[in-house]
Amino acid sequence: MTENLTIKQASDLLKNKELSSKELTELYLKNITEGKELNCYNYVLEESSLSEAVKSDERRASNSLKSDFDGVPIGIKDLFCTKGTLTTASSKILSDFIPTYESTVTQKCKDSGLISLGKLNCDEFAMGSTNKTSYFGPVKNPWKLKDSKADLVPGGSSGGSAAAVAGDLCIASLGTDTGGSIRQPASFTGTVGLKPSYGRVSRWGIVAFASSLDQAGPITKTVDDAAILLDIISGHDNKDSTSSIKEKENYSQNMNSNVKGMKVGVPKEFMSDDLPKSTLKAWDACKDLLKSNGAEIINISLPHTMSALPTYYIIAPAEASSNLARYDGVRYGLREQGENLIDMYEKTRSEGFGDEVKRRILIGTYVLSSGYYDAYYLKAQKVRSLIKDDFNKAFNDVDAILTPSTPSTAFEIANEPNDPVQNYFNDIFTVPVNLAGIPGISIPFSNDEKNLPIGLQLITNSFEEQKLLNIAKNIEETVQYKATPEKWWIT
Amino acid sequence: MEFDKKNLLKLGKLARISIKDDKLDSLGEDLNSILKFVDQLQEIKTDQVDPTSNSLEQKLLSREDIVEKINEAEDVLENAPEQEMNFYVVPKVIE
Repeated sequence: MTENLTIKQASDLLKNKELSSKELTELYLKNITEGKELNCYNYVLEESSLSEAVKSDERRASNSLKSDFDGVPIGIKDLFCTKGTLTTASSKILSDFIPTYESTVTQKCKDSGLISLGKLNCDEFAMGSTNKTSYFGPVKNPWKLKDSKADLVPGGSSGGSAAAVAGDLCIASLGTDTGGSIRQPASFTGTVGLKPSYGRVSRWGIVAFASSLDQAGPITKTVDDAAILLDIISGHDNKDSTSSIKEKENYSQNMNSNVKGMKVGVPKEFMSDDLPKSTLKAWDACKDLLKSNGAEIINISLPHTMSALPTYYIIAPAEASSNLARYDGVRYGLREQGENLIDMYEKTRSEGFGDEVKRRILIGTYVLSSGYYDAYYLKAQKVRSLIKDDFNKAFNDVDAILTPSTPSTAFEIANEPNDPVQNYFNDIFTVPVNLAGIPGISIPFSNDEKNLPIGLQLITNSFEEQKLLNIAKNIEETVQYKATPEKWWIT
Repeated sequence: MEFDKKNLLKLGKLARISIKDDKLDSLGEDLNSILKFVDQLQEIKTDQVDPTSNSLEQKLLSREDIVEKINEAEDVLENAPEQEMNFYVVPKVIE
């Protein structure tokens, strides 16, 4: 009864007084302790989660609940600044940083009475797709290959957020997605991961990586839960000038899984002989499923798809090199002693950043430097326009686009390629969505022959999250994906 | 451009990251591989294309000019590695 709870189920249990928020929080703290080996959490909020749960129970007793979901415990990616609580971005340079302010997203969660169980591990500064770049070590995927004990990557950068939901170390979690960092780990762990439209959710108080691409979003066990969390975290914020003034919708109340008459596009550029047969099979099965539920499947073309990854690996590092200039050993974070100011900067940043972060800062510095700006950064911004234009044209003809979420299922931690470019291909299907600023969701569809989850991605036009969630819900209702990993970490 | 030892050290200076000697080779290899990958964009014709710096089609908003007490000195300095008399302390800049 109390395993793999969804937000909906948990809030029903609380409402029917079958469980108190304190009991629920204790249960999840126990799951976290038992699942320590997964390395999902950088920091567990044992005391404050329990005291918040007690307060929630008191609110329930006095009929003064903050929302229908008051008292539900969730996990927060360690990229959201949380007042008085360690916020590290999984980097050595911020390993003792305690913010004096609260991010808008986590404040909204508090205002709804959600309880934070702790801060979830991720790739350093959200740069990576395996969670291996974390200063606090890799997260282990709760899923295992059939007949093998090898540890698998959970994906990244929100690897802790995805693994914690899959392993039931929280009911749901918050992640961030700059090039696939919510959808790719969701796909690797059999969870639902939603990246909202750029501007739908405030970025204020989130450790910045690439400001024109970053968005926060939920990782959950169901599409309904994703809608619930999006309801809570979305909306305009005066503190983020790039947050949209468009009225937010009531996603969970307006959920309608009817897809009759919907047009779903399938882009030919995502088709490749390199895709695993099981992924192609799942993709085809989903097309058939939508067709039999009344949708029309239309072949479309997004001609600049293959240019998205190189475009991203110019724009994201360029913005990162600028954003991460703030880590200078003066205002916060690590400081290494130097002979003079410049020497102090250089030693601090050399000591404080990991290899992947350094690579991206250096590439970003290069593409922005005098003499190379036009050839690289400006060029990439122009190709970004072409990519966005491809989607605009496609959405003249279709309501949504269906693709695989990732080019493979999860792989062994030990088998990560040494060449950084090889790793970048993990995000080949998710990156175009960030460049265009549109929303995307990964939902689990089936497991492959190795018993690993396969995720499929749905994409809609900007601010059409409702349509996105509706179609996702239709697929979810039809496939009834119920697989959960065996809890091998409990001995 | 190739990321040889000289260029790498210059780039490190620009980015304010000191690069250790024993890392130069592998870092150069990695950066060359990334640069080669992104270089494929040069083949795309973009003469008639405007750049996109941000996908949100929204003008910057103005807000009421009301004083709010945020970023107070005490909060701002809270995480400084070294501070004195409400200032950040850095290594001596002027002799």
